[in-house]
Amino acid sequence: MKITVANLGNYSVCFKTIFENLGAEAVLPEKTNPRAIEEGAKLSPELFCFPLKVNIGNYLTAIKKGADTIFMWENIGGSCRLRYYWQIQEKILREAGYNVTVLNLNAKNLFPRINEIRKKNNISIWQTVNSFLFFLKEMRFIEKLEEKAAYLRPRENKKGETDQILIRAIEKMDKIKNSGELNELKKEVWEKISKIEINKNAEVLRIGLVGEIYTVIDGAINLDLEKRLGQMGVEVYRQMNLFYHLKKTVMPWIDWKIQKKIMPYLKSTVGGHGRDAIYELLHYSKEGFDGVIQLLPFGCMPETTVRPILQKIAQEKKIPFISFSLDEQTGEVGITTRIEAFVDLIKSRQKHNIKSI
Amino acid sequence: MTIGLPKALFYWKRSQFWEIFFESLGFKVLLSPKTNKEIVEMGMKAADPETCFANKVFWGHLMWLDGKCDLIFVPRLKATKEELEYCPKFFALPDLAKILVKTPILTQTFDERRERFREIISKLGSKLKKEDFEIEKAMEKALSKEREVKETEEKEFAEKIKSEKKKIVLISHPYNLYDEYVNLDLAKKLEKLGNEVIFVDKIPISSNLSDFTPIIKFHWEFGQEILLQINEVINKDIAGAIEVSSFQCGCDAVLKEFVEKEFKSKKIPFLYILIDEHTSDAGLQTRIEAFIDTLK
Repeated sequence: MKITVANLGNYSVCFKTIFENLGAEAVLPEKTNPRAIEEGAKLSPELFCFPLKVNIGNYLTAIKKGADTIFMWENIGGSCRLRYYWQIQEKILREAGYNVTVLNLNAKNLFPRINEIRKKNNISIWQTVNSFLFFLKEMRFIEKLEEKAAYLRPRENKKGETDQILIRAIEKMDKIKNSGELNELKKEVWEKISKIEINKNAEVLRIGLVGEIYTVIDGAINLDLEKRLGQMGVEVYRQMNLFYHLKKTVMPWIDWKIQKKIMPYLKSTVGGHGRDAIYELLHYSKEGFDGVIQLLPFGCMPETTVRPILQKIAQEKKIPFISFSLDEQTGEVGITTRIEAFVDLIKSRQKHNIKSI
Repeated sequence: MTIGLPKALFYWKRSQFWEIFFESLGFKVLLSPKTNKEIVEMGMKAADPETCFANKVFWGHLMWLDGKCDLIFVPRLKATKEELEYCPKFFALPDLAKILVKTPILTQTFDERRERFREIISKLGSKLKKEDFEIEKAMEKALSKEREVKETEEKEFAEKIKSEKKKIVLISHPYNLYDEYVNLDLAKKLEKLGNEVIFVDKIPISSNLSDFTPIIKFHWEFGQEILLQINEVINKDIAGAIEVSSFQCGCDAVLKEFVEKEFKSKKIPFLYILIDEHTSDAGLQTRIEAFIDTLK
């Protein structure tokens, strides 16, 4: 059994490690690239959301490397299409002639399934728990690095230095299998980062990134939006990451709090992270951010439903807002032009001290 | 007092109930007209460009009602009593409607996982300041009309299924099936070509299907129902099947895969038609004519 998982931003490494620690052989797909996306879109149903098409593209590259099992999370509580991903993926790939099985884990079958795998591979309970903890540790490290990078990018004196360190760190994590090695790497990376020269007085714009988790997290999908904005002198804030997402599944009262805050605008869940986008926009406007960008896959049901509400709030609170739908036809230049225009607008707005959009 | 009722989306899920219910409560009901070009254009301007076509039509109806009545009724449909959910786009309809129109919105959450339909209706009635017995009476009247219609429909279906003509199953959501402007009168077009059209949601589900295990378990009310209904007619000498889906319908993207699989496994020809504001009459005519020709 060779297991694979679709790319998810910088997190792919963590998934590989946890599979290997549980005694399975794991292969990662190639980095998401336009060719993979194109191949995936060819096989996928035309109207399905963009992440599925990218996933299929990823799997195809992994299958070439010998993968025969695919890990896909089944979101049994959600209202959006994510819960049918594994069935559709299995159907598409089998119909295309690939002999693969999709390992669908969900909140109900997670523990029994993991237990099964553990017993088959002769792994002790202690080791299993440890590998989960290690997974979380790696995840948090990546997220902290990303947060730090968002702070450093607009301020660094030598452009691109932060990203170099970030990329190296992720590459090195590929070979790390235990906590001791991870701690060493952490020390090394944080030391390097502390040496980056920054201009503390730089005028930095603050922009919040809201929207669907996959498009927000994965730089290969959103055309490295965070990096681009960083190089334009924008510090990007983003609440949504994998840890936050997991935290919300374990602690449902976070969602209740969010619902309470957004009550005047939306009185119900709409599936996915629809409510979070509204909550975050309200938060950013309260904090006096310079702008908010929403990212979503083309036709994403929750995000398109809340978009009119977001636009309404942005108008009310007088905060610049722009929304990008991403799909296999998204052109890099088109997005770049629009981002540049958006940032220019914010800058001129500040220069003339205009309070309305 | 006049209550406006948009003739789109949720209206078609219970096309008799709401009008009779509000009228028996003593209100005047203003039903928006049949979908027309003007309404679709209004909806397109008002709606989010990426939402589904059915939704855009709904906003058009809402804009038409705006200012013509005292209240507009937009329920928040969440779940049926079988614990199956509606499309997530239905969850936010009243909130989005409030942004769009100036007329106050009358709304009520229909989550039958938590409350029974009767309780929800009585809550809705008390929002309109009506007594319990009045609400009960109005509801009974509306429900009995619904039952009556269902019985005649079942009789019609029994006749249709015996027909000698080529039988074609039309699969879609009620708001696409019965809105003649939206689906460009597809049913009539098929009938003109000499076929018997069977609407999927008119197919009665017989009770002996409790042991039926579908190829996929949907959490959407229509998904499970449509698969059951297809299973009901699939062995009854069906000549072909046509699925109509509005552009950017997220649920249909999933549903279509499995509906198509069902028909293909029985070697029944299947046609998938996407409709949106740009669908042309002649284009559709050509496609269905070609499809009918392949059925021989």
